[in-house]
Amino acid sequence: MYLRLSFRIVAVLTLAGVLTIPALAHHGWAGNSDEEMELTGTVQKGVSLAGPHATMKILAKGQVWDVTLAPPARTDQAGLKEGLIPVGATVTVHGHRNRDSKRLEIKTERVTWNGRTFDVYPDRK
Amino acid sequence: MTWLEASALGHVMRESGVWTYGVVNLIHILGVATLFGSVLVLDLRLLGAWRKIPLLAISEPTVPMATAGFTVAMASGMCLLATKATEYTGNPFLYLKFLAIALGILNVFALNFLPGWKAKETRDLSLREQSQLALAGGISLFCWLMAITCGRMIGYW
Repeated sequence: MYLRLSFRIVAVLTLAGVLTIPALAHHGWAGNSDEEMELTGTVQKGVSLAGPHATMKILAKGQVWDVTLAPPARTDQAGLKEGLIPVGATVTVHGHRNRDSKRLEIKTERVTWNGRTFDVYPDRK
Repeated sequence: MTWLEASALGHVMRESGVWTYGVVNLIHILGVATLFGSVLVLDLRLLGAWRKIPLLAISEPTVPMATAGFTVAMASGMCLLATKATEYTGNPFLYLKFLAIALGILNVFALNFLPGWKAKETRDLSLREQSQLALAGGISLFCWLMAITCGRMIGYW
């Protein structure tokens, strides 16, 4: 009887725990502002195609920004290879800023450099 | 974290192709699924489900499966962490996850010391022994659920 009861309690708690997970999880772009943002700066750290997202760092308005790109394979497919854009080059990134205003991070849809545009998220405007 | 990121493992993870992270991530999920699937069945049995099936008949396949799953998850998890270890500094979910894993492992050792766990191979268990095993099963379920939940949340911090 005692065991049956404790089994039921754990089952209910487990179910409750599992059901709250989707409510907590925010996917993809929800952690970023809806507002479109464009930032021009110089490359501090070139493109890295390491997972889970490709990244680069740029110096803009006197501050270093984390530029989050698409996942590695998709960024690579957009033509944005490692070492292509040299450190110090001027680039413009277009995307959405992190909702946390203390974080200098921009989740990026496209990067423009030297007259070329790399659409890492071509299906987003 | 700095050391882990600068390690050979970190370099390999970052520099061996655009699909490496994704594939290692897949292996991690398979490891976690194997671990949790086995643990779930065993823990529910310890908590009193399917009492017509002898505990030994359930512990025999689930314990080695859980160990194998844990080993795979641990190894692949280290690779994932090494990729950009410094980015996770200060991520509360990572620390909570490690805490949950540590408690889960401690609980495994505790379970091994319970008289009921040894006696299951030779005789039926007393009600007291069953209750002790049920408690260990409940703690286990809680720890691994916490570990998985926190692990999933790391990327959303």
